Amino acid sequence: MADAGDGDAAPVSEPLELVRLSLDEVVFVKLRGDRELKGRLHAYDSHCNLVLGDVEETIYVVEEDDEDDEAVKTIKKQSEMLFVRVGDSVVLISPQAPG
Amino acid sequence: MFTTAAQLLDLTDKKLLLVLRDGRKLIGVLRSWDQFANLMLQETVERIYTKDVYADIQRGIYIVRGENVLLLGEIDLDKDDYIPEPYRKASPEEVHQLHLKEMQESKRSDKTRQSKLKELGFEVEHNGEILL
Amino acid sequence: MLFFSFFKTLVDQEVVVELKNDISIKGTLKSVDQYLNIKLDDIGVLEEVRYPHMSSVKNVFIRGSVVRYVHLPAAAVDTALLEDATRREAEQQATKPR
Repeated sequence: MADAGDGDAAPVSEPLELVRLSLDEVVFVKLRGDRELKGRLHAYDSHCNLVLGDVEETIYVVEEDDEDDEAVKTIKKQSEMLFVRVGDSVVLISPQAPG
Repeated sequence: MFTTAAQLLDLTDKKLLLVLRDGRKLIGVLRSWDQFANLMLQETVERIYTKDVYADIQRGIYIVRGENVLLLGEIDLDKDDYIPEPYRKASPEEVHQLHLKEMQESKRSDKTRQSKLKELGFEVEHNGEILL
Repeated sequence: MLFFSFFKTLVDQEVVVELKNDISIKGTLKSVDQYLNIKLDDIGVLEEVRYPHMSSVKNVFIRGSVVRYVHLPAAAVDTALLEDATRREAEQQATKPR
């Protein structure tokens, strides 16, 4: 078991430790539903509830036109500070944002 | 004010709007509750809005299991029974039929949306359960 | 308990709560409990026409489990303090006997 109180020097022994190392870094979060977030991680808890700063949210929407063709579009939204209630809706948290 | 009980205490004996997880809206007076936010409403009316019409259905006393509650709103008695444009009152039968049709349509478009998003590797957040 | 304590520091701030059914409610944060149920005062609904039943409602109790996001005023959040609190909580979790 990792020594607690060793700060960042403690080895990563469980998944949430990796999230701890991402504090104050920009992370990429994929949620259930059709949403992704990119923002600076300021807080998390054991349920993976999060607080992110300078957030860009990407929402994927399916648009149906008259010919019943569907096109997937993205909507981007900004938020200066966001609490994310995840419960079971976080799919992944990544220290590196894709793209 | 930092427990569920303290939050509900203020709302006791007030006229409230209750929005349930399945999208139903109930209006009634909160008479009793417990720590799980199970609620007892008196003189309950179910109000259905659809398209440009609405209807009220008298429901009497209701006990609602807490987990099905989405939100509880205290009705401003000065604005009580204010119905926004363009909604007009219609018979419950008419509204019910229209509402059913609307729900079916939204279910259908939900389905195509979800299958499309699944191709992109998304999982659904909820199964069309939480509507409003 | 981290976010319960966090929200207690935000009482009386103006926030926007976005629910999992897409409705966004703006209001003054009045209280929170350990399930992160939230009470808002003087509410307004974004996209009011879509949610006619909310038009005569002045304050709401929202069940924590149906919340998707809470948009917060950045000025009201001390991020350094919050990060420290998160590290402390993480340590406590790690040393907890299982």
